[in-house]
Amino acid sequence: MVSLDENMLVKKIQEGDQLAWRDLVLRYEGRLTNYAQGKIKDHASCQDLVQESFLGFLAKINNFDASRSVQSYLFGILSNKITDLLRSYGRLRTVETPVDSSGNQKSSPFIDPAMGASTWYRGDEKKKLENDALIKCLGLLINQFVQRKDYLKLKSIELIFVNGLSNLEAANILGIDNKTVASHRHYANNFIIDNLKRMNLSPDIFPHLSEQDQD
Amino acid sequence: MNITKATLDAFIDDHLNEQETIKVEKAVRESPELQAQLSNIIVSRDMGDHSIGAIWRREHLSCPSREELSSFKDDALESQRIDYIKFHLETVGCKACKANLSDLNSSKDSLTNPDTREKRRQFLENSKILLPKKQ
Ligand SMILES: [Zn+2]
Repeated sequence: MVSLDENMLVKKIQEGDQLAWRDLVLRYEGRLTNYAQGKIKDHASCQDLVQESFLGFLAKINNFDASRSVQSYLFGILSNKITDLLRSYGRLRTVETPVDSSGNQKSSPFIDPAMGASTWYRGDEKKKLENDALIKCLGLLINQFVQRKDYLKLKSIELIFVNGLSNLEAANILGIDNKTVASHRHYANNFIIDNLKRMNLSPDIFPHLSEQDQD
Repeated sequence: MNITKATLDAFIDDHLNEQETIKVEKAVRESPELQAQLSNIIVSRDMGDHSIGAIWRREHLSCPSREELSSFKDDALESQRIDYIKFHLETVGCKACKANLSDLNSSKDSLTNPDTREKRRQFLENSKILLPKKQ
């Protein structure tokens, strides 16, 4: 969730306030450095990556979408920088940049959120609206589970959507049966579809909503 | 481990744990079908198509707030919520929340050592000129 003073901080930085910029760096530096250290052992490299992430954020500050969380945005930039670095070390070899028929590299598979809030959608406003709607629906769904303390459902769908597990794998982890997980998934899909319709969007824009589990 | 489209999606976002990542890397290297599937996901993401999982991970939709993590650390939440946050950290393996928590737990030593402080001071000094001009 976006907190009010976070918005204030961004607004001040947009106005060129140096103290606000310092505040932002001090506020997020620790968590970002810890995140980088989970992947890269060298502290100096981590600090460099974190600083580059702040610069990426600053470069696009005027286009920053106030509905987005600064933390998620910064983690996104950093995560891409880490991936690039690890790839340059030869790890993650399997994720090759797609090459077109003439051998030219297509754009990076790791879309850089530092390119601006809307470039996740490559400047496509329609796609952005659709993705924003999905974020809203998911937010409502998660919020409903939390309000109702329906944590079992939340755990099921988090394992399925976020970790990409099958119903059976999720059921094994949660110690419940497969059918129960399937019903949680069904509930979540219907909830999202209903809410998308309420926003006058067709659920067909997210084909994976109708995909059921193969097991 | 059954590698589905959703697994590959989580793999691209670097959301799998070390062991799973190694398994997927190996499987992809050995299977032209998986390579094709992976490329397809990457290309469709480039076109703006994001799966529910990708959006959920990217926006940290189920992550507890920093304040809540701080209460979690102090055991000052109700038991069901504590149980969920543990699950989110350990089973889902949310790296952003883990980073937040270890930052909250750290004595700040690593960020207050003289080298780090000097590097930060220089960074703040040098980046000042990149701030938007004051109106
Ligand atoms: Zn989290």
